[in-house]
Amino acid sequence: MRHFLKPLAAALVAATALTGVTAATMNQASAETVLRLDEVAVGELDPAKASDYADSILMYNVYDTLVIPNEGKPGLQGHLAESWTADGNSYTFKLRQDVKFHSGNPLTAEDVVYSLDRTKALGQGLSYLFEVVEKAEAVDATTVKFTLKNPYSPFVASLVRLPIVDKKLVMANLGDGDGDNKDWGQAFLSANDAGTGAYRITAHNPQQESVMAKSPDYFLTVPAKAPDTVRLRYGLEAATVRTLISQGEHDISSQWLPPEVLKSLAADGAQLFTESGTSGFYVKMNTTKAPLDDVECRLALANAFDYEAGIKMVAINDTVSQGKPSTGAIIGGMLGANPPENVIKRDLEAAKAHLAKCKYKPEDINLELTWIGEVPLEERFALLMQANFAEIGVKSEIKKVPWALFSEQVSKPENTPNISQLFVASVTGDPDTLLYGMYHSSAKGTWQSPEYLQDADTDKYLDEGRTATDDSARAAAYSALNKRLVEIAPSIYAYDQVAVFAASKRVSAPALTDHAKAYNLSAFGFNFRFMEMNE
Amino acid sequence: MPPVVRLLAKRLGTSLIVLIGVSLLIFAIARVIPGDPARIALGPNATPDAIAALRDKLHLNDPFIMQYGYFLADLARGDLGVSLYTNRPVVRDIADFLPATLELVIVAGLMMVAFGLPLGVLSARYRGGWIDHSIRTVTLLGVSAPSFVWAVILMLLFAFFIPLFPIAGRISDTYSIPSVTGFLLVDTLLAGNIRAFGNAAWHIVLPAFALALSGIAQAARLTRSNMVETYDRPYIEMAKSYGFPEKRIAWRYAFKPSLIPSMTIIGLDFAAMLGNAFLVEAVYAWPGLSRYGVAVILRKDLNAIVGTVLVISAMFLIVNVIVDLLIAFINPRIRYSQRAS
Repeated sequence: MRHFLKPLAAALVAATALTGVTAATMNQASAETVLRLDEVAVGELDPAKASDYADSILMYNVYDTLVIPNEGKPGLQGHLAESWTADGNSYTFKLRQDVKFHSGNPLTAEDVVYSLDRTKALGQGLSYLFEVVEKAEAVDATTVKFTLKNPYSPFVASLVRLPIVDKKLVMANLGDGDGDNKDWGQAFLSANDAGTGAYRITAHNPQQESVMAKSPDYFLTVPAKAPDTVRLRYGLEAATVRTLISQGEHDISSQWLPPEVLKSLAADGAQLFTESGTSGFYVKMNTTKAPLDDVECRLALANAFDYEAGIKMVAINDTVSQGKPSTGAIIGGMLGANPPENVIKRDLEAAKAHLAKCKYKPEDINLELTWIGEVPLEERFALLMQANFAEIGVKSEIKKVPWALFSEQVSKPENTPNISQLFVASVTGDPDTLLYGMYHSSAKGTWQSPEYLQDADTDKYLDEGRTATDDSARAAAYSALNKRLVEIAPSIYAYDQVAVFAASKRVSAPALTDHAKAYNLSAFGFNFRFMEMNE
Repeated sequence: MPPVVRLLAKRLGTSLIVLIGVSLLIFAIARVIPGDPARIALGPNATPDAIAALRDKLHLNDPFIMQYGYFLADLARGDLGVSLYTNRPVVRDIADFLPATLELVIVAGLMMVAFGLPLGVLSARYRGGWIDHSIRTVTLLGVSAPSFVWAVILMLLFAFFIPLFPIAGRISDTYSIPSVTGFLLVDTLLAGNIRAFGNAAWHIVLPAFALALSGIAQAARLTRSNMVETYDRPYIEMAKSYGFPEKRIAWRYAFKPSLIPSMTIIGLDFAAMLGNAFLVEAVYAWPGLSRYGVAVILRKDLNAIVGTVLVISAMFLIVNVIVDLLIAFINPRIRYSQRAS
């Protein structure tokens, strides 16, 4: 035995020595502050392709936009733009003159024009927001003019999703392709930054990690306590994040942690950051197929759904939940939203009354109730709905559908399931980008619109919301729309989503903890210049 | 032609045929997974024109056989196309992720040999005693639970409750090691940074052990049962009657013939770990090819799926050829059978 114990003892001695070496090295960590957070892979660095949460975090830190949302209140303020004026379908922006790109090149109107042209030419990410723009032109070095094809009131709000790229730098790094613009710098911008943002990219692997460092030349003051380096990691498992945060090796989780893990981290003393007011959880009903082509049947299901149980299912603790009670189709706090006291509640008697008026007999109904395979939470809601609907005598079959299959299915109404569940967000904070894609008859057949709604009144209100120029007229249009969408129930408005992030005590993020400092734009609170490291 | 060379040529020939078959199969399977790759790649809000242009660029509207022809032509130039998932050439992605997986699998393989075989020998040597019973109980646990369960248990035990090992990644953020081979254990040494080497070695212990545990247990149990069988052979009795020392009997006369089945199993396990490493890589945030492979399958990233499967298949075949050669080296009957044929 002694013969076998010798190598074992030697291995243990070596291991102990290595631990010592490692620990010594770890203690040498410099005074530089490092913020570590994670998101779902991949991190798309090209700003014209950014659409997911991780992409948005990168975009808002590495690039800047002409306008940004106001802190703690609705509306927009100039950012790269000093001011702007609107004249019919034309919008003219005056740029700041003290802004430089990370390359050292000064920001000019040409960069803005190029950024818009590039976004439209690539046709990816959120480029659809700018289809309405007929042309952009540089009036002079610091003035840029956008001309729209038709009236579109939310245009200025859309500019929060137009990051400005360094034209000179991109043109100097074009890859293979046709024409003067070749590949529009896609190969270059998928690995390098060409922005003006408060942080610059120092390393980027889209599946593994993006490393950002504070830019010393940013045109606004960045607090000294803002993190010096940020490591945005991709695709960490919930169990790994749970352990890393507990051991002080990670600072902010993604919003996709299961409620149980968030609960357990909170119990261990982690902070809970929240972001709300931009997205909701919608249970979508295919209005072209029996039995949900009958509004009475849809209203029966909408009244049978147990909204309160849904909120409890996503609650983290007594004060924080991943959902707020819904007040209608429009997320609370958004233009046209109902007041908070108008919470939608379950009403079984009303559900039975509506079902009695439905042209289909309950015993003949067997709903196809789907959940997206990549979102396990939806399975719980599918089970909740199955139980709720069974209480009024409606049968249903639960089906798991991968996202890739779902996005194919919804392209044809006959293949679209009776019921599907989706989280939908307003990408600009304006109700137009939340509702138009879901409910306008011209937008049917996309992942957002498996309802296939064809309703003249809904179309009218949505169009009014786009063309009305003053805020009160827009608010009136969206209020009327909200009322109409509750009346005809193309969806069950399950809850207003609250993104919850677990965070270590090392970091403060007022934009994610203080309502008065929050921004009504998804991921904008993750501007690292708003954060402070506490050690 | 020497028998070993003949064996090598034969194995390489069949491996090439298998690889062509795999490429055709995976090329077809990748195209029947539900979902339009162009739509998935460009995101839910992409314009129809952009989707149509990408479908055209990917030749998705051409007949299958033409698509395969384009793929073979590109492959001949060493081009596996661009990943729709990471927007980078697939070859570059594989070059980035493969060394991490290979490093993990090689260390796990070494652990299988270093722990599995001696445990099997010990167990057989002390058959029926407490050492044997203890080893059999532990190895039974090892083969009963999959790697990812061990990954989570080991992380909880040795990184969370007793924080001896790091939780995630290949090396601490404080080190910046220039990539030469992609193998951090090698690159840190090439950089002359012993502390970084120690740090990288410390990071690999838990994931490699979690990945190797099932193989260690399997190798130990197989070695034990083969050695027990060998111990009952008449020539062992004869060696004992000649008064040969126990150690010599165990290692020279019992262990060597028992090694062949264990080698085969270790070889197969080693190759299988390349594909099975996914969950261990996910738990330990190990930036490897298996994790990348699963991510590209979920995104229906055609080029990356085919590229990843081809590389893993090639590795599998290479390992099998090496194992065949080693076994031929250990077992003269295999060499002679080649000469006879």
